[in-house]
Amino acid sequence: MTTTDAAKPDAHYKAPQVAGYADVPYEEKARLFDLVKSDLRFGDYLYGCYECGICVAACPSARFYDFSPRRIAQAAAREDVELIYQQMQEDIWECSQCFSCLRCPRGNNPGGIITIMREVAVSNGLASAREALAGYSRIIYKIMSTGTQVSPDMLQPDAFPDWGPETGDVSANLDLWRRALPPETLHTTTTGWAVSDRTLIELYLIWLHTGSLDMIAEVDASLHAILQELMEERLEDEGIEL
Amino acid sequence: MSADTVAVIGGGPGGLRAADAITEIGGKVVLIEQRDFLGGTPIAENYAGLTPHGEPARPQIERMIEAVTSHPDADVRLGSVVTALSGEPGAYTLTVRGPAGDQLVECGAIVLATGFTHFDPGRETQLYGYYEYPDVVTLPDLESMLSQHQVVRPSNGQPPERVCFIQCVGSRDRHIGNEYCSKVCCGVASKEAIEIRQLLPGSKVYIFYIDMRMYGYWENEIYWPAQEKHHVQYVKGMITEVIAKGDRLLVRGEDTTMGRPMELEMDLVVLSVGMEPSAGTKQMARVLGVAQNKYGFIHAVGGPLDTVSTSRAGIFACGAALGPADLEDTVSSAAGAAMKAVGFLRRRAAVSAD
Repeated sequence: MTTTDAAKPDAHYKAPQVAGYADVPYEEKARLFDLVKSDLRFGDYLYGCYECGICVAACPSARFYDFSPRRIAQAAAREDVELIYQQMQEDIWECSQCFSCLRCPRGNNPGGIITIMREVAVSNGLASAREALAGYSRIIYKIMSTGTQVSPDMLQPDAFPDWGPETGDVSANLDLWRRALPPETLHTTTTGWAVSDRTLIELYLIWLHTGSLDMIAEVDASLHAILQELMEERLEDEGIEL
Repeated sequence: MSADTVAVIGGGPGGLRAADAITEIGGKVVLIEQRDFLGGTPIAENYAGLTPHGEPARPQIERMIEAVTSHPDADVRLGSVVTALSGEPGAYTLTVRGPAGDQLVECGAIVLATGFTHFDPGRETQLYGYYEYPDVVTLPDLESMLSQHQVVRPSNGQPPERVCFIQCVGSRDRHIGNEYCSKVCCGVASKEAIEIRQLLPGSKVYIFYIDMRMYGYWENEIYWPAQEKHHVQYVKGMITEVIAKGDRLLVRGEDTTMGRPMELEMDLVVLSVGMEPSAGTKQMARVLGVAQNKYGFIHAVGGPLDTVSTSRAGIFACGAALGPADLEDTVSSAAGAAMKAVGFLRRRAAVSAD
């Protein structure tokens, strides 16, 4: 028997041994939800929910996972702190952020609520965020340090089992595939889009000043440290004081 | 007093609007009301604000009363009940028992505006404990509290922290026999929920429902603000029972869209009781010999494009005497019935003049 709100602060939806993630005190869950609610975008992303399910009908992820954008909107509308915590440890990483759910007749944006929940999960180092981002550390490093794109061989193939076995084959012989393509392309492992010094400096300033870099501090401390050192050193060389 | 007069039976919003409309188009009216005052259920049951806009009920109803009582062609009989009908269409005679004894009222046509009564939640089922627990109240009970600008638990006089409304009590139920939707309770409950949240901002207010039915502008005027601005919690799922737990009430139901059973503790449970034909509606149907439908409301014989004609020529009905109706429906059908009634007696007069 469950309750739908904080009537019983000790209530949880899954027993800790079943949940697959660490239980935390109710107050911590409430703090995380407060961070979600206090985000500037929240008021534009959630009005009221008819519970009609049109977002689920439109959702590609809902076809393949036990995932429902409706439950995301409902949990937020009902201020169901326990369920929201569960969703931040599980459901939100099953969304592909395609925003098909924007067809909501009330103007809700369940995908946008998930964006905020993910950001809070990342910046607070939730286990689910660590796990979800584990396969991305090389991508994060490349994008944040060079401001340019990644190529398939930079991915850790074991982090994306749902991409199928061919991904590994393609990555392993990427140079061959590149040469087989008729047009010239900069999508190589050795070169990238040229990024000017000025752009790179601006990017570093943005990562640092907006807190984008800090977001990953809780999920990957060593990556954060490497990037921070790299950026601060470069900015120092340019004579920019932080 | 004669065949150029319409008798209106019932002095609530429907009867008042009908009487007012009759005088507006140059007719004469006798308004017969069994209570000692005009205004009907909104006044008798101390409505706080009218649905949907929530403006105070009394001043608005008083304006309707004033329009009728101040008109020279309106004759108001309070504390009066119709006990017999004789004559024929266009020349009816009503026997009216009032403070001055039995009197005869001659009229060419009649408008029935005898309204509804709230479903008695002690009838048929005691599962919600209305007569058992003081903190289980009905929509009109809460309305009466709201008219005093306070909401408290009757058991201890303290403001409630957790309140829920249970919709469709006495409506849409084959066992009870009221298969119809009472039409207004979703809007009224939502309006009252908003008023509670305004009076007690720290409270948590739930509405448990089968379907929310707030038509037309009630959607954007009541439902959306209740949910979006006042954070009233709408949960699709009916409460099966209310039981005492400590000094609180435990409500049991299913949170259907979340797919889980729920048990919640409440300080105040509000039963959204539906509409049934009033005693006066059933009694007048018998006295005037007009047909009732299977639920006891006055049977409207004209289909969807004539909502006010009854089974008897020259007798029309309006408002909640015909079935569940909100105030907007009521005043609309009252004006329609007034037009029909005056038209009916003028045609009779034209035929007899030929």
